[in-house]
Amino acid sequence: MAITRVTQKMMLQTSMESLQGQLARLARTQEQISTGRQLNRPSDSPTGVSVAMRLRASLADQDQYSRNAEDGLGWLGQIDTVLSTVTDQVRRSRDLALQGASTGANSVAARDALATELEQIREGLIASANANYLGRPVFGGITSGSLAFDSNGVYVGTPGAVNRTIGEGVTIRVDVDGAAVFGAAGSTLFQQLDDLVTALRTTDQAGIQTGLTALNQALSRVTAVMADVGTRFGRVESANQLAKDATLGLTTSLADVEATDLPRATVDLHMQEMAYQAALSATARVTQPTLLEFLR
Amino acid sequence: MSGTFGSLNTALTALQYNRVAMDVASGNVANSTTEGYVRRRVLAETIGAPAVPAMWSRYDGAGEGVRSVGLGRMADAFLDMRARREHASQSYLDTRRMSLERLEGGVGEPGDTGVAAAIANFRQSWHDLANNPGGAAMRGQVLARASALAEAVRIQAAGVEAEAGDQRNRLIATLAEVNTVASDLAATNESVAAAQLTGTDASALLDRRDALALRLSELTGATATARADGGFDVTVGGVALVTGNVAGSLDIASGVTPTGGADGSPVTFEVNPGGTAVPAVLRGEVGALTDLLNTTLPAYGAGLDAVAKSLADDVNALHQSGYDLTGTAGVALFTYDPADPAGSLAVAFTDANLVAASGVPGGNLDGSVAALLGGALDAEQAYQQLVNGLGTEVASSQRLAANQQALTAQVDGSREQLSGVNLDEEMTLLLAHQRAYEAAARVMSTVDTVLDTLINRTGLVR
Repeated sequence: MAITRVTQKMMLQTSMESLQGQLARLARTQEQISTGRQLNRPSDSPTGVSVAMRLRASLADQDQYSRNAEDGLGWLGQIDTVLSTVTDQVRRSRDLALQGASTGANSVAARDALATELEQIREGLIASANANYLGRPVFGGITSGSLAFDSNGVYVGTPGAVNRTIGEGVTIRVDVDGAAVFGAAGSTLFQQLDDLVTALRTTDQAGIQTGLTALNQALSRVTAVMADVGTRFGRVESANQLAKDATLGLTTSLADVEATDLPRATVDLHMQEMAYQAALSATARVTQPTLLEFLR
Repeated sequence: MSGTFGSLNTALTALQYNRVAMDVASGNVANSTTEGYVRRRVLAETIGAPAVPAMWSRYDGAGEGVRSVGLGRMADAFLDMRARREHASQSYLDTRRMSLERLEGGVGEPGDTGVAAAIANFRQSWHDLANNPGGAAMRGQVLARASALAEAVRIQAAGVEAEAGDQRNRLIATLAEVNTVASDLAATNESVAAAQLTGTDASALLDRRDALALRLSELTGATATARADGGFDVTVGGVALVTGNVAGSLDIASGVTPTGGADGSPVTFEVNPGGTAVPAVLRGEVGALTDLLNTTLPAYGAGLDAVAKSLADDVNALHQSGYDLTGTAGVALFTYDPADPAGSLAVAFTDANLVAASGVPGGNLDGSVAALLGGALDAEQAYQQLVNGLGTEVASSQRLAANQQALTAQVDGSREQLSGVNLDEEMTLLLAHQRAYEAAARVMSTVDTVLDTLINRTGLVR
């Protein structure tokens, strides 16, 4: 546009508009620096805000997966400890049964002593079977009670899986079914120990042999469960690590999208400040002179 | 042939004309910053030979001086029309932008306080409950987070409703201004017509007429057409609002009650008296308010309603498939009024034992339903889309307003270029007329000397 005629008001208005524009830009940069965020409202960048919201949701999810996994590790760790105690106890019972089975070497009194020790081991095993994590029996399934087995060794838990979500659509079982470790109802380890004690007391060789076989089976059962628990522990641990890594990556991405690029913003601020000052001084110069100053 | 004293008369006309010119220049300087002032020029004319030819009495003079034939107002009707149109668009876009920015400020996204964060917290609390279904603290936390979520949604719905309420009140106030301006314009039209008839200078009235017409355009996007008598006829949306010295009133036909409430139907207008419905879409401030009330705000409210409904329905369906601490089947967690889901979303119960975390009946510590409730909800996605849509709309309205600002500034600049007062120019003119005045005075004294010579010295020999 060829300007053919310029008035004082035009210059003032143009100056005011450009000063306002400069100030608005300055205020925007100042906001970005003082809030530390370049996305302060959806209109700053609608797509950026969508991405930021998705990232925040994913971040919360991953954080939660990591917490779930840590809880699961607590369960599985507790079960692992209990199972190694159980293995020791079953192994000791098998030793005792073997001693009882060797005929002739043992008197009645000695067998009685073996039986008494086996009874104590049985008590200890029931206590192990009722091991709990944060108040919940780890072999009791989804029971709301505090026991998996009562004092007679009868299962009182509620069968059901205790699962933890450790990733998007990934759940893992963090408990162990009581029956899988201690045998199904009717042929529980406790029942078999009871029978063995009776067989020892009555010198029933066939009964002792049956008990010995049962104990061997129990030992391999517990070992298999331990291996399974160990595998699951590893899976949960790696899922936890994955979730933690993802959290780190997502936090970085969120900062990329949302946070102010400070060096750039600071440079911008300086440049805008200089431009503003230049505009101010130009306005001051332009608005001063009129013909009046030269007319005498 | 001019008379003996004709030369004196010529000088006199010059004195008169230059005095008027200096008056006008001083008036221009005085009004150099007055809003809507259009600079004036004295239109001068040489007094010469009579235009009617005559055979026997021919004019043989050398001109009879100068006379001012009126004031010229340095305005361009087409530029003014263009300015009215651009200003109407500008106020439409500005009004829309400011309202949307307020709405956006109330959404509070992205951040740790908005609905998105509340949904994330709500889901986390379910995960925590899944990890420990028996914990009273976890159950309480689920209820607390659910309440916080419902409240966040309700606050946002209330924000939309409050914005609509503000805009309705503003619409009423704006219409009051429209009608005042319209009747002022009608009165000005009458004065302009009278001034034209009597031949007095109507410049000040015309300035006022232009300012009022511009304001009407800013308010309603009205179009003005010039009348033969100098006034403006104004139509809004094709319906006559001001005709000569008669002004109608633009009123709300439906959509807003006199107290600023909503009556459920879209906002429409009529011009009274006569109750002529305004068919076309208005521009300007009123147009922006109408758009906001009829389209933008209800659309966002409906989006929020859909999010609230989907959230409540999905959570309720899952929750009802579960069993609470005592083993009873779960009840709905959220309640809402189907007519206004976002505004009435609330948690249905306060007893933490009723939270259904278990997927197995009979009272146990299964957490499968809680884990499912901790999973992703469709409402989250829908809410992100809603916020994205709002952000896009705000950003586009800001861009449009900024573009329009450049256009409006350009048109205003063109008007100012033509109509604005340049002090240097006025000073120069003032000087020129001052010199001309001095010269005319010198002519007068010269003629006086000549006459003195003629009258007093003729025949005298010394």
